[in-house]
Amino acid sequence: MDTKWNSTGPDEGLEQFVAGEVREALKGAEDAPGVAKVRVSEKTCGRLRAAAGLAALVLGVSLVLGSLGQTAGRLASGVDSGSFGSGWRSTDWQETPAFRQEVAQRLRAFLAMATGSDLEWWDTASGDTYVVSGDGGAWYEWGFTDTATEDITTAEEEAPDASYAEDKNLLYRVRGPGEDSYYSNAPADMILSSSWTVPESYNFLLTFQNGTVTITKDGEPVDVYGDGFFTEDSLWDVPGYENFTAGEDVAGVTVYMAIRQEPVPYLQLKSDGVSRSYNDFYGLYQRIREMQGFYLLRAVLCAAGAVCLIAAHFLRADRRRAEKKLAALTRRVPGEIWWLAAALAVLSMVFFTGYSGLSPYGGGFSPFELWYYGWMGSSLTDVLRLLALLPANAPALLALVWALWLRHITRKNTQPDQRWSLLGALSVRAKKYPFQRSLSRWNRLALVLICLPAAFWLLVLTRILGISAYDDLFWFTFLPLLLPAAVLCWILRKNAALARDIGLLADQVTAIRDGDLETPLNLPADADLHQTAEQLNDIQAGLHRALAEQTRSERMKVELISNVSHDLKTPLTSVLSYAELLRQEPLEGAAADYARIIDEKAHRLAVMVQDVFEVSKAASGQLPVHLGRLDFAKLLRQTLADLEGPISRSGLTFRVDLPEAPVMITADGRRLYRVFQNLIDNALKYALAGSRVYLSLKTGAGRAEASLRNTSREELPDGVDLTARFVRGDASRTDGGSGLGLSIASSFTEACGGDFHVETLADLFTAVVSFPLAEAS
Amino acid sequence: MNACILVVDDDPEIVGAIAITLEREGYRVLRAYDGMEALDLALDPAVRLILIDVMMPKLDGLSALLRIREKRNLPVIVLSAKSEDTDKILGLSMGADDYVTKPFNPQELAARVRSQLRRYTLLGDVHAEEQQGLLVNGRLTYDPARRELRADGETVKLTATETKIVDLLMRNPGRIFPAEEIYRRVWDGEAAYACENTVMVHIRRIREKIELNPKEPDYIKVVWGIGYKMEQHGT
Repeated sequence: MDTKWNSTGPDEGLEQFVAGEVREALKGAEDAPGVAKVRVSEKTCGRLRAAAGLAALVLGVSLVLGSLGQTAGRLASGVDSGSFGSGWRSTDWQETPAFRQEVAQRLRAFLAMATGSDLEWWDTASGDTYVVSGDGGAWYEWGFTDTATEDITTAEEEAPDASYAEDKNLLYRVRGPGEDSYYSNAPADMILSSSWTVPESYNFLLTFQNGTVTITKDGEPVDVYGDGFFTEDSLWDVPGYENFTAGEDVAGVTVYMAIRQEPVPYLQLKSDGVSRSYNDFYGLYQRIREMQGFYLLRAVLCAAGAVCLIAAHFLRADRRRAEKKLAALTRRVPGEIWWLAAALAVLSMVFFTGYSGLSPYGGGFSPFELWYYGWMGSSLTDVLRLLALLPANAPALLALVWALWLRHITRKNTQPDQRWSLLGALSVRAKKYPFQRSLSRWNRLALVLICLPAAFWLLVLTRILGISAYDDLFWFTFLPLLLPAAVLCWILRKNAALARDIGLLADQVTAIRDGDLETPLNLPADADLHQTAEQLNDIQAGLHRALAEQTRSERMKVELISNVSHDLKTPLTSVLSYAELLRQEPLEGAAADYARIIDEKAHRLAVMVQDVFEVSKAASGQLPVHLGRLDFAKLLRQTLADLEGPISRSGLTFRVDLPEAPVMITADGRRLYRVFQNLIDNALKYALAGSRVYLSLKTGAGRAEASLRNTSREELPDGVDLTARFVRGDASRTDGGSGLGLSIASSFTEACGGDFHVETLADLFTAVVSFPLAEAS
Repeated sequence: MNACILVVDDDPEIVGAIAITLEREGYRVLRAYDGMEALDLALDPAVRLILIDVMMPKLDGLSALLRIREKRNLPVIVLSAKSEDTDKILGLSMGADDYVTKPFNPQELAARVRSQLRRYTLLGDVHAEEQQGLLVNGRLTYDPARRELRADGETVKLTATETKIVDLLMRNPGRIFPAEEIYRRVWDGEAAYACENTVMVHIRRIREKIELNPKEPDYIKVVWGIGYKMEQHGT
């Protein structure tokens, strides 16, 4: 049971299977099953929540953006402006301004037909003059007059009402003042007069008689004229107002119109002209319904999207897990893909309209075409309208948004060194190591060698098959290339990862060489170099252990020396004390000498013990130092003054070259004094009698460098580190030094953060102590 | 001059050597070889000063010092093989009046004993001296009016130049004076290139007159790379 539970692997199916098994198996058991069940259901629940969160976000954003985008585009296109503008509010299409306008227009046409002459009318909205021709056509006085005139001439043989007769959504009977002017499309047995016998489905009845219009809708009379005066706000643009009468010529005309409540299409459409439509009312009805449907659907979708977004907000923590999983997949794709997809989306938004009815001039013109043909002006409003048309292409808009979103979550959930892009993989300059650069070059070459022949063969193939670029098939010929392209991408990614990993490995080697023994190199488990990196980590850890061990033993050594020096001091105290007492005793002959020698050597031993103690402390970095700003030149002058006695007794000549101006450095004054005290002592002890000793202090390149030169009495040994402990220029050890002078100088200098080195050239001995200059305060 | 001194060290030879030196100076010496013994003997009212080693069996010197301090107020000089500043500061902060590192010079030790005893005898006067406008710094007392310096109550004979330097330093204990400034104020002249040497020579002479161990001065100290100062000591 346990083994089964533990064996749940990353395989989801298996895991669920095992989880189910466990649940079954544990039904009888006592405490474990509860836990197991909870865990199983928690895990599954977590997965479901994550998936739901992601789905809610995708759905929500898609719905909201898509519907808003299409709505914005449609509003910007202006197709619903004008008489439609307020139309979408009414549920009855016969209550819309567009309907009233169409009816008024039709009445005008009938009146014109009945009188057989052109009528001058005016458009209430624009104030432009209409000319309503005798054949029922209407055109603006300006603009398309020529075309309209042509239409009149070509349509001469037809009955004037030919364009209306087939549309049975409007039944009419027009009787003019003359006997021959009688038009009707209603069946002969149908009475269209004050006693209507039209079917029930025709609910809108209009009568024009004696120059006034009466309308009955659903059996109820409609108030046409209001207060009787025609203004811009008047609903009905028909004659019969006090200030807008029909005129003498139409006074004798009678028109009856019956309009169907729900128009149906009549298929006998005659399309001999460009702008003629014989199904005007059906078109209008559909147009209004379509418009209402469009906005309603978008509103519903937007609301649904908002609900999804709220759900996504509550599931955001789970969603982030799903995003991580998604990013684990998408990071395998080169980063450029998202930009490419976004660019394609923008292009398709510009070049393809999302909704064919979306254009102020009808037809499916894309924003680009509208701009290119100059239909939109260049005013700010027009530019904004043009831009607002872009999101009408909802699929492209969503493709853009989701491409950018995928890029975002991929980047967010991917370490910078795990990201990859084709450009990055192929770029040479950004690479650090030569092998990475050459790998990139080879990748480039491989890409060119594969892509060029592929393009060539594709061209040849399309030629042979005779497929042109305008053919839809042409694009399908690219499909077989997708698989190789994916494989190529995969290889490039693999190579890029390899180059990166080798680079990291090289970096790690450098870091280890520079002393970083703590940070291991963590390559992904699936990296080819994972094992090598692990081995390098082992070496690093081993080195770290060895170093720690060494440090520990060094510290123990120091402790040992410290203890030993302490243990030495106790008997030494007795020796010194009694030697002193002995010297105070009256001693005979040689005994006095012996006592003196014991005293001297005991003193020397005391000095050596102290020196050994300090050097070993300094060597292990445990010498306490109190750093502070001080004048290097002054310190040297003080040291010389302090040692003036021994110097003047030595018979050596000191040539001192110290700057007057302060040379500020940061060091521990007492330790640095000991450095120069030891160096000068050293010079006094080993310099050739009567020779000159040179002490100078120079500044340059941000450092202060003091050097002490003297000519050695003894020949200086070659290839011996004089600063090593207990090493002296001469092999004999007869004089008073501990042999630690240079060692103290060296380790104290370093403890203060300075640099100490010794140069020997023939008999010339030079000790150099340098410190970085302290910043001026 | 029959002050009784308690010497405590786990090394009998060291105790012996110190005892001989002190007895030659005319002191009476009590010997103890560990901390517990020291505690017992320290209660003897005749004991006027204690010399105590730090590392001892049974009870170490610093603990013994703390416990003696609870009962008696008398000068204690700590002896130690530990020569680092931190050890010294620890010893002094625990109530030691002086700290002498091993191996020590018996003569210097005797001088320190003498100095401590004198200071304790004179201690009552310190307050009065300060009232009179005297400058008191540890063992040193300076009378600015009479331009007289006393160490452990004894007048120090100083030359005119030395007196000027002491005057400057005693009036400003703790303040660091560059050699140039000392030169300017003492010699009333422009600081010459060699002033460092001149000042150092005089300071060395003053040290020899006032310090118990001129090689490791307690009062006039060189602040390397900056100047010279009078170390400030408590009373």
